[in-house]
Amino acid sequence: MSGGMSGGISGPIRRSASVRRLVAIGVTLITLLSPFLWLLQMSFKSNDLILQFPPPLIFTPTLQNYASLWQGAFPASFLNSLMSASFSTALALILGVPAAYALSRWAGRGKHALSFAILVTRMAPPIAFTIPFFLFYRWIGLLDTVTGLVLVYTSFNLPLVIWMMQPFFETVPSSLEEAALVDGASTRIVFLEIVLPMVTPGIAATAILCFLYAWNDFFFALILTRSNARTAPVAVVNFMNYEGWEWGKIAAGGSLVMAPVLIFSLAVRRYLVSGLTAGAVKG
Amino acid sequence: MSGKGLVDAERRRFNRLALAPSLIVLFVIAGLPAIYLVVASLTPFQLVNPGSSTDFSAPLRNYRLLPDDPRFVNSLWVQAKLSFWGVLFQVLLGMLLALLLHTQSRVVEFARTFFLIPMVLPPIVVAIIWKLIYTPDISPLYYAAGLLNIAMPSLTSSVDFALTAIIIADTWEWMPFTFLMVLAALQTIPDEFSEAALVDGANRLQIFFYITLPFITPILVISGMFRLIDSVKAFPLVFLLTGGGPGSVTEVTNYYAYLLAFDFNEIGYSSAVTIVMLLLVVAVSLGVVWMGRRREAME
Amino acid sequence: MTKENSSHKSAGFSRRTLLQAGAATVGAAAFPMPVIAQTKPFAGVTLRGASFQHRFFTLLQNYIPEFEAQTGMKVDLQLSAFPVYNQQANLELSSGGSAFDFVNVTFILAARWVAAGLLANLDEFTGDPNLTPAEWKPKDFVEGAQVPYRDAKGATYGYSWEGGAMVMGLSRMDLMEKKGLKIPKTFAELQEVCAAINGTDGVTGLVSFQLHHWCLPPYIQGFGGNIFRNPPADIMPALNSPEAIQAIEFYANLLKNYAPKGVLTYTEDQARQALLTGRSNIFIHSSAWITPILLSNESKVKDTSRVVRMPAGPVRDFPAANSQGLGIPKNAKNKKAAWEFIKWALSPEISMRLVKEHGHSSVCRKSVIESEEYRRLNTVNGQDLGALYLEVLGLPAKGENYMAYRTVKEFPIVGDVLNKAFEQVATGQLAAPAAMNAAQEQAVANMRRAGTAL
Repeated sequence: MSGGMSGGISGPIRRSASVRRLVAIGVTLITLLSPFLWLLQMSFKSNDLILQFPPPLIFTPTLQNYASLWQGAFPASFLNSLMSASFSTALALILGVPAAYALSRWAGRGKHALSFAILVTRMAPPIAFTIPFFLFYRWIGLLDTVTGLVLVYTSFNLPLVIWMMQPFFETVPSSLEEAALVDGASTRIVFLEIVLPMVTPGIAATAILCFLYAWNDFFFALILTRSNARTAPVAVVNFMNYEGWEWGKIAAGGSLVMAPVLIFSLAVRRYLVSGLTAGAVKG
Repeated sequence: MSGKGLVDAERRRFNRLALAPSLIVLFVIAGLPAIYLVVASLTPFQLVNPGSSTDFSAPLRNYRLLPDDPRFVNSLWVQAKLSFWGVLFQVLLGMLLALLLHTQSRVVEFARTFFLIPMVLPPIVVAIIWKLIYTPDISPLYYAAGLLNIAMPSLTSSVDFALTAIIIADTWEWMPFTFLMVLAALQTIPDEFSEAALVDGANRLQIFFYITLPFITPILVISGMFRLIDSVKAFPLVFLLTGGGPGSVTEVTNYYAYLLAFDFNEIGYSSAVTIVMLLLVVAVSLGVVWMGRRREAME
Repeated sequence: MTKENSSHKSAGFSRRTLLQAGAATVGAAAFPMPVIAQTKPFAGVTLRGASFQHRFFTLLQNYIPEFEAQTGMKVDLQLSAFPVYNQQANLELSSGGSAFDFVNVTFILAARWVAAGLLANLDEFTGDPNLTPAEWKPKDFVEGAQVPYRDAKGATYGYSWEGGAMVMGLSRMDLMEKKGLKIPKTFAELQEVCAAINGTDGVTGLVSFQLHHWCLPPYIQGFGGNIFRNPPADIMPALNSPEAIQAIEFYANLLKNYAPKGVLTYTEDQARQALLTGRSNIFIHSSAWITPILLSNESKVKDTSRVVRMPAGPVRDFPAANSQGLGIPKNAKNKKAAWEFIKWALSPEISMRLVKEHGHSSVCRKSVIESEEYRRLNTVNGQDLGALYLEVLGLPAKGENYMAYRTVKEFPIVGDVLNKAFEQVATGQLAAPAAMNAAQEQAVANMRRAGTAL
């Protein structure tokens, strides 16, 4: 099997990448990422430079935009995002992982119906829940609180956890469990000490996805927060002033909001890829 | 056998205990709101009109008004267009990208993660990115068009191009999803098939059409359907780029429901619109599950 | 669970102390203090208020530490972007919330909030001499600016901090003189001037922005039409009258041919930028957005600018007048403290300080506007901006109250339909008659769906 065939889009045969293909991939990557890179470079420009055309690709960068962001409500919104995303992820995992295990071992009827109901909650547009949540939170005083956000985020993260962890549990051979159970171990022990360690990659991937979805949320935060619990994505939109489209600040704000997610995703990319595909493909 | 019976009983108890909290929580924070939504859709509930929240005198009023509401019908069309074209391009481009990256190379595996960036970005940041690109004053796109002497209208305030502009941004954002899924599928195709075909003298195109494509078609369909369901949620792009305009050219149903509920405070009517959307989502989800089960049955 | 943090407040604390020291020295020494009780009657109270980001509040925040020092209360003023604020405040008030003690009553929502009884009646505060001394003079506020905050019986629910008198700014008188053009006084002349200037030197004839339901009514009324048949009594929409259609065509034509690309999505700030940099010649909007061409340091067109009355229509000459005001939600928890704040922020003393120290002139107190100081600061190149401002703001009170359409609580619904319809015409989707007929139907249907009997 010659390894010299090269060029363009190929078939399913795996071979070492040719130079032409690598170049094609590189060019495609830069082109695809150019809008994102444009945002990044704009965040380091002063407003005058931004309005200047042709856009100077080489310029003295300034941290002014980032610095001015750090005074004001932006740090607080970052903290809100962090708290609401982390706590809802933790809550969803604590509740959802055992539930996914139970579902994967369920032999009874109704399993498909249950799975389907869970899928629908995951798939429903946010507005379906925002109206009732808004009215209820108003009545109970949870509007504009991190607690309120955590509950709302759990409402879509919990189904995600169950949906994603089920296939992972299904890959754990039941023979292992049977053996341990017959030996007298309780299901709880079997679950905690045998099954759980085997699905750690799945839990990691799911945790990251949950954090990602919660962090990225815009709609719920827009409606259910005012200024105490305002999250980073909404705070960025707030720069779109009544008086002054501060492009530099907007670009810097956008870059900051996406930074944690990017760093997170890149750091655990191995799990990210398997997590996303395992969940979707098996589903 | 009584030993096994006891074990089974204990297992069932554990399973119930493991499942129960999730089900209760889900019922409270997802089930109840859904029920409330249905109930609200049967009333003419408006926030400024407190009595209207329990007015069940004409329960189907909202649903009867829907087909006569040109803005609602328009929003369904806009949504259909956005979903169709968006999903089509996401599937096609994702597939092409997967084929390009389907190769054995550490470098490529490393680079693969960077292709995912648009998908993991907060959607509102994606909207900001494209707002920058679509604003004539500061966009390199318009500058380039000016240099080439092309009179490019402001896309987001142009009737003909506003929806296209959103579709482009949406495709950019979600293409990595299909890319990821198709790539994973490509990597499960056994090499022997294509190797044999090559030995038999087949060219690349034939290999693609007769071997690769049949293998990945189910994945293409499934990822398309997932994207279809998610496309109903399109909000940040419309919110930031066009506000539903110009006119109502980019006003998708989700955005219209949002305006109804939170700008006009017509809670009842907005709930009815949302219920219709939910039914559509449920229908497509049923399709996804059915396809998944068919594949399972075939394997 | 954890409580919301106040890290942003602590970040501002040192700044606040600094400002406090500075303001105390300057303020107390140079200007008379507003009349407030000597002891600290509101110690321990945290006053929560909200508005959209506007220069007025940014400037006011410089003075707030003095207020806090006098009264003992903490002022927590939350500012958001315009559309975000409006939606959140509207949602909050419509659901009877008490999260805010004072709010900005945005002009597009004023009638709705007043009619729906969502605001507290401020006559109770101004009528009580213990709460409001006579020197505060509630009648000192310009009439035209106060109209939106009154209900049918004349009770007042808000006091204005910003008057929006619609005027016309021309930034390139140099080009006009070169072409021998005079300042347009009628709609027809306006069109001619826009056509003549457009394209010269890269300048567009006109610039505008996306709130069509604010920009359009003067044209509709100028041609003899109105938004409603005869507000406030007869609120049947009149969007498809021949006069309205004519106005839509006229204004759409201006935007299509003589305005910058993408003008339909322009915000006010983008439009003002275009004017300040001389990239557009004409901008018709509230004076606060126009006078910077003469007064602001950012203006590149100071020497070639004029600010005048907007052109008159063939039938009527009705420039729009609006205002932004401060009000107290019906269910606010700290009403007395809120009134204390509003009283202070809109006092003659603070208004004067804003004019003198920061050149912020769109305040609403007649006594301030007619003062020597104001006249001196706001007469540029022989143009008495204060007189123009007062003239336009006072027009609705002379004779016919043509701004009555603004006091109809269903106006937001109709305004929204008008916006969409205009965009369809301006982008060539529909011809004006077709669009306006459809708009009329939609407006009636939406109003009926919202429970209005028509």
